Amino acid sequence: MVSDEVRFGERTGKVEDRPIGDLHPDYPLPDPDHPVVKPFWDGCRERRLLVQRDRETGAYHWPPKPGYWKHGRLEWVDAKGTGTVYTYVVGQEPFLPAFKSMLPHVMVVVELDEGPRLVGHMVECAPEAMRIGMRVEVVFKPLTERVTLPVWRAARAG
Amino acid sequence: MKRIDEDLFARIRDQVAIVGIGHLPFSKDIGRPISDTAIEAIQMALDDAGLEAEDVDGMSMFEMEHTHEVTIARGLGVENLQWWDKITYGGGASCATIMHAAAAIATGLADVVVCHRARNRGSKTARPWAQERELVTDDKALHVPWGLIRPVDVIGMWAHRHMHQYGTTREQLGNVAIAARKHANRNPYAMMRDRPLDMPTYLAGRVIGYPLTLYDCCLETDGALACVVTSVERARDLKQKPVFVHSVAQASGPNPVHLANYNTPDMQTTAVPCAEQLWARSELKPKDMDCAQIYDAFTPLVILGLEDYGFCERGEGGPFTDGGRIEVGGELPLLTSGGGLSEAYTHGFNLILEAVRQVRGTSTAQVEDCKNVLVTGASGVATSAMVVRGE
Repeated sequence: MVSDEVRFGERTGKVEDRPIGDLHPDYPLPDPDHPVVKPFWDGCRERRLLVQRDRETGAYHWPPKPGYWKHGRLEWVDAKGTGTVYTYVVGQEPFLPAFKSMLPHVMVVVELDEGPRLVGHMVECAPEAMRIGMRVEVVFKPLTERVTLPVWRAARAG
Repeated sequence: MKRIDEDLFARIRDQVAIVGIGHLPFSKDIGRPISDTAIEAIQMALDDAGLEAEDVDGMSMFEMEHTHEVTIARGLGVENLQWWDKITYGGGASCATIMHAAAAIATGLADVVVCHRARNRGSKTARPWAQERELVTDDKALHVPWGLIRPVDVIGMWAHRHMHQYGTTREQLGNVAIAARKHANRNPYAMMRDRPLDMPTYLAGRVIGYPLTLYDCCLETDGALACVVTSVERARDLKQKPVFVHSVAQASGPNPVHLANYNTPDMQTTAVPCAEQLWARSELKPKDMDCAQIYDAFTPLVILGLEDYGFCERGEGGPFTDGGRIEVGGELPLLTSGGGLSEAYTHGFNLILEAVRQVRGTSTAQVEDCKNVLVTGASGVATSAMVVRGE
């Protein structure tokens, strides 16, 4: 199922891209400069969850499309940062070394209240407490100076 | 204006045939590069057909590892390759190799085309997901950084949603694993030929990625498989009973993502548009299939495939597997060689070879009077499917 054709970009190694905390050296970081997704990663760094919306139809788009899509019809807008668990899995061994300290690792597909379904993982939630349909809210988890990951926790009342 | 040439599909229908198949023994560590094993597998398929390398002028490969057509052509002794093609997407491209070969033959671009898949991932270090590190630059950047990279988890998302929405049970997933295993136990080439599997054992399988457990997962295999495709006219003079290519289709589906493809309406898979085209180009219907080789990297994909290819309604794939219906002797035997779950995991190319054997009447789990067989690629990734039939 997994492509062998993927080529990984060179690690930037920029001074400002140092890992935060005890990030595993092989953690698979996203490229925050990829032109299509850069606004999303820039938003996360500012603790904003941005998704694309069609200026004409109001429809939300995910995954992101290039800025020139249909001559610039999409705009990045703030999502509320709340949604429901559409589905989830709980990863056990064998797993990527970078995630071993997080096992059992609860990965989710969150359906945002705006509609798009985003892949994420849970924090502060035991696997036994997970339910499909449960309400969740975004939390921002800095991995490096340049990459902050939006992750999810059970929504707090109010 | 759409200019799909439906006449071309009519020219393919039962006018192109698979005339030879071959594969190396499946292994956990074959000890040879795929640029080498591919050649031997293709030679075996040519031998099976009664053709020589000099007869070959086309090549259609399922390829993601950058082996070269010319290396294979030279190794075989092909005089001059006139047409070639590479198709990617793990799990999705198997039947597409036959579709492209059939189109080349039907349009006169090639006469004898060899199709193959060779892949080494039997050993632990060969698993691509275990090598994910550093900067992720493609579609995967929107799921891998959260740890969603193992195929079992990517597919587990679909499975868990299906279980939640439709009440699909662990036992129904188990029906798939057990049917495949029973068939593998009759297949001397199957990696699991000597390992029986019953429901208590299945249910006790250790969790890999909840809700999926060990026996929901395919094998890890080094394998090389090939087949030979040519026109029906040429097939008449060859050694084997021709297996006609009846209908073929490829589909990416809307808003596709390479793996974690979750933003389609109601999580509709890529197999839905693929099936629509496949049956539209076919004179046969799902009910005409004598057996089906539905792509099975993980058990839930088979349940989704049963629904997507029209054997039952959406949500009814689980109950469809009950009561031995999917075992040989049942209404729709599936994965009669053992499939990816129990014969070998070769990105589904072994399913093509098994469909050919079923139509020839030479399967080790032969379906009586088998004439029409569906073969599919993976639901979820950009995929392909075909129907083959006998005379």
